[in-house]
Amino acid sequence: MNVEGTDLMHAFEEAPLEAASVEAPAAVALGRAIVITSGKGGVGKTTTTANVGAALAALGKRVVLVDADIGLRNLDLVLGLENRVRYHLLDVIEGNVELDEALIRDKRSANLYLLAAAQAREKEDVDVDEMQRLIEQLRERFEYVLIDCPAGIELGFRNAVAGAQHAIIVCTPEVSAVRDADRVVGLLPNDWSPELIVNRLRPALVRKGKMLSVDDVNAILRLPLLGVIPDEPAVIVATNKGEPPAFDPNSRLGAAYRAIAARITGDETAPAEVPTEPEGGGFLSKLGALFGGRS
Amino acid sequence: MSARRIVVTSGKGGVGKTTTTANLGAALAKKGRRVVLVDTDIGLRNLDLVMGVEKRIVFDLVEVVEGRCQLRQALIRDKRFESLKILAAAQTRDKTAVSEEQMDKLMGELAKSNDYVIIDCPAGIEHGFRNAVAGAREAIVVTTPEVSAIRDADRVVGKLREREIPLQLIINRVRPEMVKAGEMMSIEDVGEILGADILGVIPDDEGVIDTTNRGEPLVLDQTQKLAAIYGRIARRLEGEDLPLTDLDPPSVFSKFFTMWKAG
Repeated sequence: MNVEGTDLMHAFEEAPLEAASVEAPAAVALGRAIVITSGKGGVGKTTTTANVGAALAALGKRVVLVDADIGLRNLDLVLGLENRVRYHLLDVIEGNVELDEALIRDKRSANLYLLAAAQAREKEDVDVDEMQRLIEQLRERFEYVLIDCPAGIELGFRNAVAGAQHAIIVCTPEVSAVRDADRVVGLLPNDWSPELIVNRLRPALVRKGKMLSVDDVNAILRLPLLGVIPDEPAVIVATNKGEPPAFDPNSRLGAAYRAIAARITGDETAPAEVPTEPEGGGFLSKLGALFGGRS
Repeated sequence: MSARRIVVTSGKGGVGKTTTTANLGAALAKKGRRVVLVDTDIGLRNLDLVMGVEKRIVFDLVEVVEGRCQLRQALIRDKRFESLKILAAAQTRDKTAVSEEQMDKLMGELAKSNDYVIIDCPAGIEHGFRNAVAGAREAIVVTTPEVSAIRDADRVVGKLREREIPLQLIINRVRPEMVKAGEMMSIEDVGEILGADILGVIPDDEGVIDTTNRGEPLVLDQTQKLAAIYGRIARRLEGEDLPLTDLDPPSVFSKFFTMWKAG
């Protein structure tokens, strides 16, 4: 977006009466660009991007997922689309192909698209301005643009944040992840209001006092809670197979992601914490209870 | 004699670089080796937390490089092992505060008075990665048996080979029952894909989360089953010909039996 354009928009905002009499110049309603970030790697940014994207698409929203992890892409794998990647984000930015050619449509949902990262290139090959322009182009076509941020707070992070208006912070209940998340929140623009997803929670460990609770995490971060995702081995299987659980109507993980998607679309009735444990605990605790009166 | 300078790297974040650095360092120190652990994750440091020394940081790596303090002033001595020291990363700076040459020089300095310099690398393959690798002469690549981690590790292995840095793998967070069920890649598969020797295999263990939160490397706690595994990795690193840990899981009934006895 050029500087003059930005100033004009501000002028309208500051003078609402005048603005009301001026018809917006056939403006396309731009979609919302949300960066999914964390600071610490391996806390579930890519899994969250894929699943929240899938859940938004299932709600009928038009969604594009952007892998900003140039050189270490993985979103294509998690979506099971790795064999369909022909062009990537850098091809679009460098003008080698049109945006449409680089967008990969999901196998399962006609509303969901992926823009893959380049694998054999470096983060230094893109700059903040180029990234902003690309994201704006995507916002013209999609209701939601979810940007999967690389780990760390280097150039790759700055590029991923550049085009976004909103951030989702993914954090696991570990002190190291909380510290990194706190650092990242401090690097985001001051006028943003990032929301929190606590990932990989093990309620049984929390009860034993061996894991931070959601409240412990948020006592430090103090962010609006968007959702809580339980730790389940099913995620590993899903990643290896390229099948996001959000597509599975019977999956408990999927239900948690669908609640998050609903909240993103403004549905306040969707719970941040979906009950994730079957009543009465798992198999082993039942067995223990049967034989020793232990719970 | 100059120390071995080993970078612990992975590409993907969250696979266990910092935990590996801390526990391998503690296991080597336990054997009497002089070890210094270096956190190169400038801006997102965590090794201090895992080692439980976060409140004792006075000077950091960037301050040493910029000549604001002496190297020995910045080294934090571990309270549990006389021969184990930590050099913390700066938290409020960024990775471009240090160059590859400065890093190499600093690691060379540390190598003079130690047996091991173990460098905890940041996630990714940007400036921070290049800095961490610049100070090393060999590498441990940590991966988990997940396709995304392996793809990232493969990219890092390529970058290390370009630099002619010899490397070994640690395969972390293996869940034997999932491997058996065909839901997780086996150790052999991972080694074959990455075409590298395996230094160690570490099962997924919830003890790691708790000990990390408390800042106690689990190597220190003999009741932790991973303590022995890191001990073996330290011995293999020193050239002992030990077989890899057998991770065959007990059946659900033997688990139940143990629980029943314990109850």
